[in-house]
Amino acid sequence: MSTLPSTMHAMQSWMQEALAFPQSTSSQQLEQLLEPSSRLSGTQRLAIYQRSYYLRLLKCMREQFPALCHALGEELFNDFAYQYLQALPSVSYTLYELGRRFPGYLEANRPDAGQPDEQRESWVDFMVDLARYEFQLFAMFDAPGHEGKPFASVDTADNRLLLQPCFALGNYRFPVAWYYHEVRKRNDAGFPHLERSPVALVRKDYLTHTFPLSIPEYTFLLALEANQNIETALEMVAGKLELPMNQVSSSWSKPNGIRARWITAGFFITAD
Amino acid sequence: MPEITKQAGLGLGLGLRNTHFEYILSEWPAVDWFEAISENFMDSGGRPRRVIQEVAERYPLVLHGVSMSIGSTDPLNFDYLAKLKALADELQPVWVSDHLCWTGVLGVNSHDLLPVPLTEESFSHVAERVRQVQDFLERPLVLENPSTYITFSQSNITEPDFLRQLSNETGCKLLLDVNNVYVTCFNADADPVAYLESFPSENVVQIHLAGHQHCGTHIIDTHDGPVCSDVWELFRLAWSHCNAPATLLEWDGNIPAFQECHTELLKAREYMDANGMPLPDRAGQAVSTGSVPNPLDFLVPEVMNNTVLEQV
Repeated sequence: MSTLPSTMHAMQSWMQEALAFPQSTSSQQLEQLLEPSSRLSGTQRLAIYQRSYYLRLLKCMREQFPALCHALGEELFNDFAYQYLQALPSVSYTLYELGRRFPGYLEANRPDAGQPDEQRESWVDFMVDLARYEFQLFAMFDAPGHEGKPFASVDTADNRLLLQPCFALGNYRFPVAWYYHEVRKRNDAGFPHLERSPVALVRKDYLTHTFPLSIPEYTFLLALEANQNIETALEMVAGKLELPMNQVSSSWSKPNGIRARWITAGFFITAD
Repeated sequence: MPEITKQAGLGLGLGLRNTHFEYILSEWPAVDWFEAISENFMDSGGRPRRVIQEVAERYPLVLHGVSMSIGSTDPLNFDYLAKLKALADELQPVWVSDHLCWTGVLGVNSHDLLPVPLTEESFSHVAERVRQVQDFLERPLVLENPSTYITFSQSNITEPDFLRQLSNETGCKLLLDVNNVYVTCFNADADPVAYLESFPSENVVQIHLAGHQHCGTHIIDTHDGPVCSDVWELFRLAWSHCNAPATLLEWDGNIPAFQECHTELLKAREYMDANGMPLPDRAGQAVSTGSVPNPLDFLVPEVMNNTVLEQV
């Protein structure tokens, strides 16, 4: 029989292991460590904690990834999330971080991991991208933003436009934003087709807006995110995509063009 | 370190929950005070932060934590404590509380409130950590008796004695969760009245009330329904022993409309008067499947309704 944990630290290490891996505990050892009640054995009493450990965390995972849960179905989602929680248990004081490593875990542990790229299952790519998008939305819900302060206006000069703090870019292999919002509307969205889907996410008035982007728009915002100024970013778009500079500039600055729409949507604040 | 002196007169409070934000901000209901979960706000840069700032401007506020892990053998997390201190400095809560528990070890967080074996070893360990936390936060800590489902064979101090000694030696104050007393005592075949009679009521600044799920062989502290009549009776006894403690209703699962929570809270008045008669028991006794102790879903905001997909 294994040795009983004799120190407080050993006891806590033992109990934590027993919660995450219930099969790892010896019932003989357990009955020596825990008193029975008149109705339950020590093993049965510990099982209350063991059951609730995963029930509680899986519920939180479903709430952080509602669209992925919809796509996979609750049972399969729970299977993936259970394996994730066993492999990468929470190391944060806040549950907000619980799902942060889930998209990477899904990618690293995809069932077709050993296959060449062309033989990989596209549905796995969709699940990974959807998880990335959902966690980005979750993080932006409570990230530092610019609410309560003035945003840039159409009169703000280009050289004073800065991307606002609660802004993110995504470049997905599937239209995951569309799928997510179909789930939100409780529509029974089918598995979407492969379609490169760059998006910008912007929070304004505590609502996170997702803007589908064209490749030039995405390229431009990527440059701004890398701290390039507007003029340089426009030149980069023209250069990378081999577009005439006057066409790129016009798309940006024409009345009701990209500049006006994005400023109105809250993409920019004013540099000091 | 400042003393806690405001509990008398703080009155009847409710747990601040995301689902009630709209109602609170539009109606500013006549609740005496709110208790906010520290971890829900210490990293917040979004709407929850704005809401709690507005709430703190209008109501007395208490910060109640679930992740301090005062009983863990891991080192104290001073990054966490620094954020808690910053939040407390900003919001100026009446006090800051957490639980006599540990949440994880070896860097892992179970997000459960796990029981501490009640021994001389654990007492010395917890007392030292309480002193460190209070020195760091520059304010007294308030600790709550947790609901528990196991009894360690090695425990040789009762929970009331452990908390009395802890409070006397460190100066920390106590949050007496009456529902937890009921749950823990049922699960351990102990007498909740004897527990309360031996509890250091002189150090209690706050009382918690909540609902639970009775599973026949054990009770789970679910916070998902009204307070049952037995717990109300324990509250009557606890109240009579303490010095007008601030009293708070926790409702964390299947959270109803604010008014329903408030109505349930106001029942406490009937038990704060020695001559008051208990109200009929409205607590549902049906056991829902998958009930978990200390539900945490209220710690995760509902994000989906705060998103918009713009058209191309």
